[in-house]
Order: sequence, then structure tokens, then C-alpha cells
Amino acid sequence: MRFFRAQLKRQAGIAALVALVALTIFAPLPAWGAHQVERQVTVTARSFAFEPGTVRVNRGDTVVIRLESADVVHGLFVDGYEVSALAEPGRPSELRFVADRPGAFRMRCSISCGNMHPFMIGKLVVGPNLLWLRAIAATLVTVAGALVLFWNRKSV
Amino acid sequence: MAPYAISEIPILKRLLKSRWPQWLLVALLLGFFVVAILAGFLGTPAGNRNFGIVFVWIVWWALLMLMLVPVFGRLWCGVCPIPAPGEWLQRRSLVAPANGGRLFTLGKKWPRRLRNIWLQNLGFLGVALFSTVILTTPFVTALVLLGFVLIAIATSLVFERRAFCRYLCPVGGFIGLYSQIAPIELRVKDRDICASHREKTCYTGSADGYGCPWLVFPGNLTSNTYCGLCTECLKTCSLDNVAIYLRQPGKDLVTPQKRGLDEAYKGFIMLTCAAIYSAVLIGPWGVLKDAAGAPFTLPWLGYATTFLLLNLVVVPALFWTAVKFSERIGGGETGRPVPQNEAQRRFAEYAKVLVPLGLAAWIAFSLAFVTINFSYAWPSLSDPFGWGWNLFGTAGLPWTPYLSGVIPLLQILVLLTGLAWAIALALRTARERGQPPLSALPITGFCALATLGLLALYLA
Amino acid sequence: MKRNLFASLILLLILVALPALIFGARHAQGSRDGIRVVEIRATVPDAGGFVPDRLTLIAGEKVILRFTAPDVVHGLIIPELGVNIAEIYPGKPVEVTVQPENPGRYEFACTRWCGLDHWRMRGVIEVIDPGGAVVVPTVEKPLFEELGIDIDAMRHAPASLPSSPPSVQRGYEIAPDSSLPDWLADPHARRTRSPANAFEELRNLPENKELADDALWDLVAWTWVQEAAPEALAKAQELYARDCAACHGETGRGDGVAGRNLPGMAKMDPTMPSGPADFTDAAQMLSAPDALLHGKLLRGGMGTGMPEFGSLYTDEQLWAMVSYLRTFHFTK
Repeated sequence: MRFFRAQLKRQAGIAALVALVALTIFAPLPAWGAHQVERQVTVTARSFAFEPGTVRVNRGDTVVIRLESADVVHGLFVDGYEVSALAEPGRPSELRFVADRPGAFRMRCSISCGNMHPFMIGKLVVGPNLLWLRAIAATLVTVAGALVLFWNRKSV
Repeated sequence: MAPYAISEIPILKRLLKSRWPQWLLVALLLGFFVVAILAGFLGTPAGNRNFGIVFVWIVWWALLMLMLVPVFGRLWCGVCPIPAPGEWLQRRSLVAPANGGRLFTLGKKWPRRLRNIWLQNLGFLGVALFSTVILTTPFVTALVLLGFVLIAIATSLVFERRAFCRYLCPVGGFIGLYSQIAPIELRVKDRDICASHREKTCYTGSADGYGCPWLVFPGNLTSNTYCGLCTECLKTCSLDNVAIYLRQPGKDLVTPQKRGLDEAYKGFIMLTCAAIYSAVLIGPWGVLKDAAGAPFTLPWLGYATTFLLLNLVVVPALFWTAVKFSERIGGGETGRPVPQNEAQRRFAEYAKVLVPLGLAAWIAFSLAFVTINFSYAWPSLSDPFGWGWNLFGTAGLPWTPYLSGVIPLLQILVLLTGLAWAIALALRTARERGQPPLSALPITGFCALATLGLLALYLA
Repeated sequence: MKRNLFASLILLLILVALPALIFGARHAQGSRDGIRVVEIRATVPDAGGFVPDRLTLIAGEKVILRFTAPDVVHGLIIPELGVNIAEIYPGKPVEVTVQPENPGRYEFACTRWCGLDHWRMRGVIEVIDPGGAVVVPTVEKPLFEELGIDIDAMRHAPASLPSSPPSVQRGYEIAPDSSLPDWLADPHARRTRSPANAFEELRNLPENKELADDALWDLVAWTWVQEAAPEALAKAQELYARDCAACHGETGRGDGVAGRNLPGMAKMDPTMPSGPADFTDAAQMLSAPDALLHGKLLRGGMGTGMPEFGSLYTDEQLWAMVSYLRTFHFTK
């Protein structure tokens, strides 16, 4: 009986921790951030990197990425936003979207451009980078929760 | 949770007792292997249209890291075609046990000093140093695969049993480490029966099968690490005393057993490599990619040196410091010099926290590219060589990244699960060492920092 | 024993029959329906460009050309056979059937930027007469050679330059009130002289005394492009984006990404501007006759890395491109 009660208590504890972490990640927060503007960035693609490697914008900004290529045909696909563009030297292109989701998103080359193509990756950071802040908080919650839960446990 | 013997389910039992199902799987996978190697040598050098690259580094890797290892442990080793040709030669038989289980090799025993996984650690580092080239160049992938088969054959002919799998295979090394997490295990039903069984056919072999190719005595198994799920013992045990169990995940980590420095280092190497790959391969820094992608150039030498230092010195040293603090807090550190083997032992004991931590890191890293690139599988299934074939009508399907929006959430979920698990293990290790929970805090700190570092690479 | 026999059979299938099947299928790709398939590997020029880049056919012979790219996206044109493939994606072969009827040389070239040396990625199909007769192509002497223009020579800035880019529209408006020398009205004669020559001549005409310098430049601008057909200019614009913009820049300023580290004319004479020509540079462009620009396009070279387009463009396209280049230093 005591064993089962301990089991139950532990499972409830784990459930509580999971719920707390989920809350940290998903709890709705009022949107805040800088004045929303149209943000123009020129991204130069060359085998096998984007320059600048990281593009920072604010939530709600209209992002206009002018994609240039310095060597061969490259593409740019933004994770999460699922938009893409193609460029080749002399033929740049423009990618326009509203950055309505905060977080860090990978920008990947979307057209085979040689060996390292699958790892030709850059980053779009839509600030305030709530997911990262939430992840830090969730990590702290996890550490605290795990310590409390397993501090005196006989078994793991 | 009491282990449940799934191998006792009648149909599974029949499948496991027969030699055919597993053999056919191995043969089928050997077929895939042949195509992958041929594709590497003859097919298009464009990796994402080449069966060798796509099926090895995207499909197989996804299956291995996201499913086989965490859920089925060493199942891959049980069906891996790499050692098969060598083993067939060694046995002079394909399926049926022949010659009373006798093996035709020079029968050399593996050198005593190398009876550990240091060679696997070095092998993995060696492969990892050239990963950017291997992962992206079909020809090199084919060379590596073929090299594995040839080394396995040579090892089979010189040494007894599956020395390649047990001591050399760089992949087997980490599968073994992380298979401790899996909710699957092969164990004996009753140890007393084994103890009183004089013939020990599971180790020596019988007319029904071969003695453990992995050089393990099943009666002593307390961990999945060195059991390759080849299922020979299920066949050779004359007392029907071996079974495959569904069990509590991670049981091997809470079962007291000897843990070596080699295994601890496997943990460091894997965790560090996952972090380095996350920065180099999927990070936004072109300089790193250029350096890692150009072997034997000056930048690459810088990369290689940093890579090896981080793997073999920096990260272990950080952990060693954490262990040192743990001991101090726990009162184990009294100022008197600690004997070296004791210092190593407690280091290796704590290092088991790296198992959930490292596996989580590998899953998180793999998530960042396998689903995104999985759609390359469809064209290369129809046109494995990039020759313009269209076997199944899928050659024209475009690259379609799957799940790009949810990957960060999955990464958080996986990494935090690994972290909580690692912390629980750290607390437990402290308790096993007779020390207060407080002394697990430095290790907890190490794990939390490692997790935050990875999260920063993915999310910041 | 029976079990091993069966297993051997399966292994034989996997290790022998499967590779044999693959090799066989590969071999069978060498021809289709009796038509020869010629495989041409398209790689970046540093790795060999088109391999093979020279192909000999007999007039009237039908072949399937199979282009494969191992590295980056390439494109293909064979202008005189009407072949235009926009993309050869890595690992995705593209086939085209050709049947050149007339003996001669058919040049082909990559049309997608594939590195700094992209323009070197060329090849030729030599079509020979079945009788074996050698065909000597009759080549017309290009205008610049006829005129004895040295396309490599340094040009001096004109004595007078417009204060702002000359306007075609304004030129059109004042045209009725001005007097033009005969040669300016004749497109062929006009090609032999530079806009600066035209300006000087107009300036010296007493009838134009009332007109300001800039008005005269407007007039020159209008006369220069008046005959260019809009369709021809649109085609030239397309070709410019494909072949020129990478180095000379989309706006013609000579600032294209692929041209950033090119020496340009400075390689031959350090006093000359480095990098690709800036088509908005009035001093350089207004002193250049159309025949000179035509010659540069046609022949390329000049020690600058400028490719030759004589084998890729028709003569009309070359002249249309010259007119299009004028739009960079003239305004509407």
C-alpha cells in the first residue's frame, strides 16, 4: 500500500513538473516589442554560408530579404515560415513576409549547390526571442523540479 | 515495473528460435548496402540525389537515432549487414549452424589491453573529424561502408567471434552506450539455472547455434552495452532460460555495475560531438563550415585540434572538476590524496549521467536535419544513382521540408527530458556513494549548462 | 545443407544479380530506340566544365544529349539548334534530342552562373558532311575590324560631358526644332561614331547655336536609341540579366557580385578603372562608338575576363544589347 502511494505521489510529481514546463513554454504572454517597421536586409549567399549568418528582426516587422548570390545558384528557405527564394549572381530576388512568430529559425539553402549544401544554414531571429527565454526558464524549472522530485528518492 | 518477457509471446518466440527471419533481414539490408556502395562509386556525386548518402545519413540515421536506439536499443546491431560476410566466412555456413559451432579463424584472442572500447572511441573521433566530407560525398561514404565490411571480414578471419562489433565498430560503440536507455533487454530468466548449467551452451555453442559472438556470458548480463541482440543464446540455451524483456527504461543505469573510463569517455565524446556538430553543421557560421569541410588545410588543422581538445580534454576536465566539487561537498574529499583507481571509479560512476544527456543531444541535433531533408528519400528511391531512372514514379518529387515549425519545440522537450533524467541519475549516484543529495549539485550544474548550451545553439 | 543452398541462392541474387542488373541497366542507357545517347557531364569550369566539350556528328544524325550535373545548377543553350534548358539540377539528368542538318560548328554554353569562371563553360558540336567535305564557314568581318577600331585601346574622356544623364524624351521633344547632320539619321553610319562625336558635330552647327549643351546631349540620346525595337530591347534586357548582370551589376554600374575582384582594364593599364566596365560612366561610354561596344561583346577578352558572346548571340541580339547598354547612361 505504502509502495503504491509512493508510486502515485511520484507520478503526480512528474506530471506536475511536465505541466509546469509546458506552462513555461506555452503560456500566452502579451506581445511586446519594438515599433513594427519594414526591415530590409541584403543577404549574400555563397558556398556554403549566408552573409550575414544571422538576421535579426522584431516581431511584426515586415521582413524584406534581398537575396544575392556571389557564386552559383542558391536558394533560401526559412524554417517555420516556409517561404523561399532563389538567387544567382546578377539575378537577386526578394523575399517578403511578416515576422509574426518570435523565435530563432534556420535559413537554409534550398537548391543543391555542392557538397556542403545541406549544411548551408543561417539564422533568422525574430525578437524578442520568446522561445529562447522560455527555454531558459523551462530549463531552470526542470532543474529545480528534478532536484525536488528525486532529492530523496530510493529509486529513479 | 517488473520486466515482461516479450519473447515468450508464441509467435515472437517462433520467429526468434528460427534462424531465418533475422537472416533474411540481414540479407535484405545487405542488398540495401550493396546499392548504397554502388551508388557511392557509380552514382551522381550530388549527395542529395544519391541513394548512398540519402539512405545512410538521412533515412538510416533518422531511424537509428530517433527510434532504434532509444526504443529498441541494440536492435540495429542484431540486423546489421556489416559483420555478416565475415561471420559467414568464419562459420563456413550461411544460415544453419555447421561444424558443431566451430569457427574457422586463426582463432586469435583479442589483445587483452584492447578489451575495452577505446578503439571504438578513437574510431568514432576519426570518422567524426571528417564527418563533413563523409556525410556529403557519396564516394567517401561508399569507401567508409566498404572499409567497414572489409575490416570486419579481416577481423573475423583473424580473431574469434565478432571482435569487430565488440571492439572496433565506431557506430556500435555509441549504440551500446545509449542502448542502456532502451526499454528492451535480453537477459536470462533465472541466474541460478545458468550457474548450475555445466555446458554453458550459450557461450560455447551447440548444434542449435553459435556461442555468444559478442563474447558475453548471458548469465552475467546486467547491461545492454555489450549484448548485440544477435539472439544466438535464445537458440543455444538448452534450458530455455533466455528471454527478451520489456523493462523500465534506463534500467542499466540504475543497476550497479563496473563502469570503465573508456565508457565514460564514450559519453564525453558523444556529447561533445553533438554540440560541435550543432555549431558547425547546422549553425550559421560559414567560417566553421569552411574549416571543417577542407581536410588537411590549415584552417582544418585548427578545427581538428580544437575538436580533439574539446572532446578529450576540455569537456572531461570540466566534468572532472564537477566530480571533484561533488566529493568535496559530500565529504569524500578529505585532503588526503585519492588513489588513482578510486578517482577514476567515481568519475566513471558519475559519467553515466552523460547517457541520457548525450542521447537527448543527439536526438535534438538529428531532429534539426532529418525531417527537413527526409523528402530527398522519395526521389532517390526511384532514382538511386541519379541516372534519370524513375522506378516508382517519385523521381520528380521536390525537396519538401517536413515539420520545420515544430522542431524547436521537440528539441526543448527532448533536451529537458534528458536533463531531468541526468539530474535524477546524479542524485542517485551521490546516494550510492553514501553522500548527501547536495553533493549532486555540481554535476547537476554541468548537465544544466550543457543543456543550456545546446538550447542556445538551436534557439538563440 | 538444403538451408544453406537456399541462402546461397538469395546471396547470389543480392551480391551478383543485383549489381549485374544495375550495370546492365546503366549500359542500356547508352542508346534508346536505336538513337545514340551521348552523356555530357556539366561541372563547374574548375572541375572540367562540359565533359566532353567537343562532339562530332554527321549531318542529319539524330542523337539524344544527356546532361548531368554533379555539383551546382547549370543551364544550357545551343543557340543554333534552338535548345534552351533553363536548369540542369545536380543529380537530375536532362535530355534533349538534336538533329543538326547542316554541317558546321554549333556552340553550346552554360547559362546559369556556376562560379567565377562560368563563362568558360562552353562546348562545341562539330557537324561534318557525310561526304567528308570540309566546310569553311564564311565569316563576315565585324564592323569594328572593318573600321580598324582597336577595342583594347584606352579611350579619352570627351572634352565636354552632359551635366546629367541625357534624356531621350527631351531629345525627342526638341528634335523637330533642331538640325541633324545626315550621318546621324543613318543607323549604320551612326554605329561608326561615338555619341561624343555626335555632340561635337551638333555643337558646331550654327543652326543649333540657340540650344544649350545639355539639350544637344538629349538630342544625341534620342537619335541613338530611336530605332531600337522594344521587343529587341526586352530580349536584350533578359540576356543582360542572364549573362552580364553578375559582373556589370543589375544597374550597369560594374558592381556585380561576381565582378568584385576582377582586374578589369586596370590589368593592362593601371590608369584605367579596375573591375567590370561601368555602363553609367558617361566619360567612358559616350566616347565609345556602337561598333566598339559591339566588338567587345563579340570578341570579349581584352585581358579582363570578359567572355565572347559572338558564338552565343545573333548579330541582331548583339546590336540590341549595345542599344540596351545605352539605357544605362541615357535616361527616359
